[in-house]
Amino acid sequence: MSTAELTLDEGLARLAAIAGQAHARIRGETVEVAPADARETAAILRFAQENGLAVTPAGGGTKTCWGNPVEAQIRLSLERMSAVREHSWQDMTCTVEAGCPWAAMQTQLARHGQTVALDPLWPERATVGGVVAANDSGALRLKYGALRDLIIGMTIVLADGTVAKTGGKVVKNVAGYDLHKLMTGSFGTLGVITEVNFRLHPAEERTQTWTANAGDAAEFAEPLRALLDSQMVPSAVQLRVGKDGCALDVRVAGRGEAIEDCARRLSKIFSEIGMVPSSEAVWGARQELYDAANATILKASMLPAEVCPVSAELRHWATTEGAGVQCVAYPFGLMTLALQAAPPAAFLVQLRARLRPTGGSVVVLAASDEMRAGLDVWGCDADALGLMREIKRRFDPNRILNPGRFVGNI
Amino acid sequence: MLHPTIIAELREAVGVDGLITGASQLQTYECDGLTNFRVLPGAVVLPRTTEQVQAVVRICARHKLPFVSRGAGTGLSGGALPAEGGVVISLARMNRILEVDYANHYVIVEPGVINAHVSQHVAAQGYFYAPDPSSQSVCTIGGNVAENSGGAHCLKYGFTVTHTLALEVVLPSGELVHLGSAAPDSPGYDLAGVFVGSEGTLGVATKITLRIVKRPEVVQTLLAAFDTPQAAGQTVSDIIAAGMLPSALEIMDTLAIEAAEAAVHAHYPKCGGLLLVELDGQASEVEALMRDVRALAEQNGAWEIRLAQSEQERALIWKGRKAAFAAVGRISPNYIVQDGVIPRTALPQVLAEIERMAAVVELRVANVFHAGDGNLHPLVLYNRTIEGQEEIALDLSYRILHLCVDSGGSITGEHGVGKEKQQALGYMFAEPDLATMQLVRCAFDPESLANPDKVFPRPRLCADRPGPYTPHPLETAGVAEIF
Ligand SMILES: Cc1cc2nc3c(=O)[nH]c(=O)nc-3n(C[C@H](O)[C@H](O)[C@H](O)COP(=O)(O)OP(=O)(O)OC[C@H]3O[C@@H](n4cnc5c(N)ncnc54)[C@H](O)[C@@H]3O)c2cc1C
Repeated sequence: MSTAELTLDEGLARLAAIAGQAHARIRGETVEVAPADARETAAILRFAQENGLAVTPAGGGTKTCWGNPVEAQIRLSLERMSAVREHSWQDMTCTVEAGCPWAAMQTQLARHGQTVALDPLWPERATVGGVVAANDSGALRLKYGALRDLIIGMTIVLADGTVAKTGGKVVKNVAGYDLHKLMTGSFGTLGVITEVNFRLHPAEERTQTWTANAGDAAEFAEPLRALLDSQMVPSAVQLRVGKDGCALDVRVAGRGEAIEDCARRLSKIFSEIGMVPSSEAVWGARQELYDAANATILKASMLPAEVCPVSAELRHWATTEGAGVQCVAYPFGLMTLALQAAPPAAFLVQLRARLRPTGGSVVVLAASDEMRAGLDVWGCDADALGLMREIKRRFDPNRILNPGRFVGNI
Repeated sequence: MLHPTIIAELREAVGVDGLITGASQLQTYECDGLTNFRVLPGAVVLPRTTEQVQAVVRICARHKLPFVSRGAGTGLSGGALPAEGGVVISLARMNRILEVDYANHYVIVEPGVINAHVSQHVAAQGYFYAPDPSSQSVCTIGGNVAENSGGAHCLKYGFTVTHTLALEVVLPSGELVHLGSAAPDSPGYDLAGVFVGSEGTLGVATKITLRIVKRPEVVQTLLAAFDTPQAAGQTVSDIIAAGMLPSALEIMDTLAIEAAEAAVHAHYPKCGGLLLVELDGQASEVEALMRDVRALAEQNGAWEIRLAQSEQERALIWKGRKAAFAAVGRISPNYIVQDGVIPRTALPQVLAEIERMAAVVELRVANVFHAGDGNLHPLVLYNRTIEGQEEIALDLSYRILHLCVDSGGSITGEHGVGKEKQQALGYMFAEPDLATMQLVRCAFDPESLANPDKVFPRPRLCADRPGPYTPHPLETAGVAEIF
């Protein structure tokens, strides 16, 4: 912490006075502080703002490398705000503090057979606030919608210490602006999320997963289209593409008779390729991509109908270039790619050129520092970038919250 | 009256046939569905293209002239009420469906397209557009986007925001921006998510990409008659607690049934609380679930249960429900429609309290509600010709909204805040919450030209210091210090 006015020790003393001695400490060049509630969070942000110190809100630390690197003098940990504050199971809503690990929240909700219907990465460690700020979502989005559609309210603390509530605790509500939509996916650049209200779904009790295998993703294009065009409502569908071939997984939840009915329909749709019962473990595929050694992880967004052709093109490209590409794609148009043995810059340019004309995008999530250097992580070419900057300026005029992390260096 | 040079500029922008300035013609635009608020606009323009909208908005920006977008004018909260002496931008002529992409499940439409036309357009391919406000045969997609409109089937399918993938928007400066994308998660802030439901205060939507959904294999609709709306409400809670997600769960009380019967002869059973349950999905699943619904209804004392046996029967059931607001005109000379939301479990207490409050002031309240998501539409019946009754009715309707907030709910589930509920928004949200919303407003519209003096309880200027910090009472008292 080296601003002209404050030494690291002075900063520590001031922050300890807010959050308590036990909850502030020096870590390298930053002070890490863990406030107990929104009010202490507000005090910390006001202190930071007055002294021109950059703050990075921190949850489980699982996605800190997403976006541009931030040099912050204060690491604001949400670890002490980790309670499920309210579970109104008859109304199917809950209020959870932002520092609550995702899986811990789900365990609590499961007591009444309910769930926040989203399957984010590293649920044991990732916190509610972090998942929301990074707008992570997995395969369940096909059936239950995006994260923003599951959030019905929030408490946020702005850079100037304003504590604001948005939305509410009811599922249907159009009073005022939906600031929680703005905060979802804002990567901690507009405010610190301290509490989130979710709408809940009944947990899926009985599920069955089937898998089909093929040499080339293009073979899946027709059956996948037929599946999505059918009246079946699978809770998850994913395409896995790797060195050894491609697989398509389908999960159905429901009562016994409905699952049997789906089995019949699926075997018809996939009659040529063949589909067999498989294990729930296949749904860990997206997360496993991050374990690949020295991989650059990209998130590509595309039109649903492009998922199969793009997967096939990627595999072809990898073969001709001698590079390694593995990917896991969801049929609503999101794909996670692990790129190995190839510098990502040229690849990124090519893939963006391929996807942009139809509104797609590619974002670099994880990469070694060496690979990341010089990359345009976000690749945001939106004509609304000016408007986004203006929103940032209004919310955080002194740029203390995760400065530079987001699109257009916001 | 607008200055002649401004009139000339507007004429230049939209052509002679796109401009209305005659007093009698302007009167058509002086209110929306909330007819007790009326303001005569300075001019109405009817652009045909995005470029024309941009040209008009630029003129407004140059002259600091307020403008109000308008779809079909069916809004129930005064959202399309003109600004005094300002310009009304009617999107009625921008009514083309521009693109349909079945492979990617979306359509691109202009804002003046009527809601029901979207579903009609894609029906042959087995698709539909899910949000279905009762006004769907007349209201526009632009209005739906501005209000984040709902409908009976939003319980399962979600609101307008769930189905809006991307927007082309003319900002209040006249600049054109594209928010969101048909491909998910475009990098940057989710401005499409923020724009939907902003009630025309952030700009004019000129193109909208909507998600379309595959029609379910089967749809089954069941009517169950109970002695009280509370018993119907308990059945709703039981259905949800059993883990089911019906596509619609609606309740009507005696007065509402009476009105609907008078208007469209839906052949509803005469009862204290009528429950309408619709399930859709795969045939095998729907049939099994409907058996459970029936059992739950019987457990709660349903004395008549009917399952619609044909598409015509189903349509008639819905016709009665969707006509309910207007039908109330048959049993009362005047009425106020409200739109509160409560946690579903608060239904019995809230209904009892509404009944009590109405009895005290000797007025009748008819109740229609989207019970699955706790969205009440209390209809306060009154007679304007009886002196003082309108004030009493208005007061009652606002007190009902406060009751909803006090019960942990909201002042509006789908009709928006508009002009009508500005003060009530101040009851629901604290000053810092409103100030934070205002930051968004100021980023989009620093001059407050787009639908000014709506939604927020008091006029604010963007130059006002944003986000005031309210000191903790202990601090003010000098008892504690934060640092
Ligand atoms: C009988 C009846 C039943 C109804 N039932 C329902 C219901 O079930 N569910 C429900 O949600 N609503 C319902 N409504 C309310 C109303 O129909 C909806 O709010 C509808 O979305 C309004 O659409 P509109 O085209 O009439 O918009 P308008 O009333 O013309 O305008 C509504 C708002 O949208 C803004 N606006 C319009 N077009 C644009 C644009 N292109 N860009 C930016 N802002 C724009 C206006 O400024 C205004 O603030 C009902 C109304 C009636 C009369």
